[in-house]
Parts: sequence; C-alpha cells; structure tokens
Amino acid sequence: MKRAYQFMLLLYPRDHRDRFAEEMAGVFEEARNERHYQGWAWYVRFAFWETAGLIGGAASAWLDRRPVPEASVSGAGHRTLPQEILEAQQRVDRNIAGMVHAISHHDYQGARRYSDEERQARENLRMLRIKYGLTD
Amino acid sequence: MRHVERQVETKPLTEPVLLILTSLANQPRHGYALLKDIEGLSGGRVRMSTGTLFGALRRLLEDGWIEPFEQVDTSRQKQAYRLTTVGRRQLQVELDRMRQLTRAGFARLRASEAI
Repeated sequence: MKRAYQFMLLLYPRDHRDRFAEEMAGVFEEARNERHYQGWAWYVRFAFWETAGLIGGAASAWLDRRPVPEASVSGAGHRTLPQEILEAQQRVDRNIAGMVHAISHHDYQGARRYSDEERQARENLRMLRIKYGLTD
Repeated sequence: MRHVERQVETKPLTEPVLLILTSLANQPRHGYALLKDIEGLSGGRVRMSTGTLFGALRRLLEDGWIEPFEQVDTSRQKQAYRLTTVGRRQLQVELDRMRQLTRAGFARLRASEAI
C-alpha cells in the first residue's frame, strides 16, 4: 500500500513532492501501522480517506501554484503584456486546468501528461519573461 | 524603517488550519504527532488525511504562520513545526473571535429561556 501511496504522490507538483513527499510517506506509514491493528474495516476506511485526501490535496496544490495574473498584481497597473507572453501564460493555465480535471476524474496518466506539458509551458513562459525583461 | 509586519488575516480560519495552529500552540510537533493531537483535540471527530494535513502545512509555511523546527536526532521524515509570532497572533485573533461568538450565543440562549 505504501508503494501505491508513493505512486499517487506523483500527482503533486514537483516542488511540493521535493519538499514533502518523504515526510508524507513517513506519516502515512505510521498512521497505516496504527490502523492495521484496528481491523480491516478501519483499514479500508483509512485507505479510502487517504486516497480522497491525496486527490484533493494534489488538486489544491496545483491550483495554489497558479501565478498571479499580471493585471491583478497590486501596483502593476494595466501595462500591456506582449502577445507571446499572454499566449504562453494561457498554455500554462490550460495545462493546469487539464491536470485538475484529470485528477478529479481519476485519470492519473492524463494528469501526468498534463504535468509534463505544464512544466514545459512554464519553462517557456520563464524564458519569454527573461526575453522581454519581465523578470522579478 | 520599512514596515515588514504581516497583516493579521481577518477572515475566519478553516477548521484544519485552526486545529493545526491550536495543536502547535504549546509545543512543536511533527506530522504524525499533529494528526494524533488533532484527533484528541477534536474528541475523535476530526481524522485528518495526510493530503489535507500537508496541504495546510504548506500554506501555513508559505504564509509564515509556522516554521520548521530543528530537533536533535530526527530524520527528514520527522520534520517538526512550530508557530511563528505571526501564527500565534492569528490564533489569538481567531480564538478571541470565537469567544465573542460563544458569549453572544449563550447570552441569546439564556435570554430566550428566560422568556
């Protein structure tokens, strides 16, 4: 079951995994060992609860990761961004939306595909921001 | 001097956040200890999943309400967390709000019973 849990952790954004995956697996293992001695009914309920928590947590982690839209940044005014950057940002947003949709429909392969595409899109956006001198 | 103090959150805290802050109020705790303490604090009503717990911990770390606490002889799997000054103030504000609400609620109940 720990392997299944570790596999499901792949649903989280890489930065979240790098920071918390090992710790989460450790806490899961401790909780699982405790539930194991409380009978199979508890164990099944625990497994269901953890799965639901991971899916919800991963979706939330992806949503929290969305960059703040340029126009809504306090003090940024309404400066016009180059079309290239706007399109790159839209690609990032579309991939995040696809990821959340895939996770909510238990399509984990699809979620991983969106995750890879989102990473590429985000890197592309970063390069464009450097090109236009929009780095923080 | 630049004003760096964070503004106190005025919106009510979510239940997981309130429980985590309360659990950390008296001592630093690591993930599993938090789960167990929260279960005890809520009288067994709240059994938080690891996904919910670490989602809330991540946001609290990003907001600067909690911070990692280095303990001797602990692995990364046993990372402990403690309240920051900002987190402690947030908890105080929330508990004050709840106390006011509780007082008002009891006062109205007493008033209605007296009629």
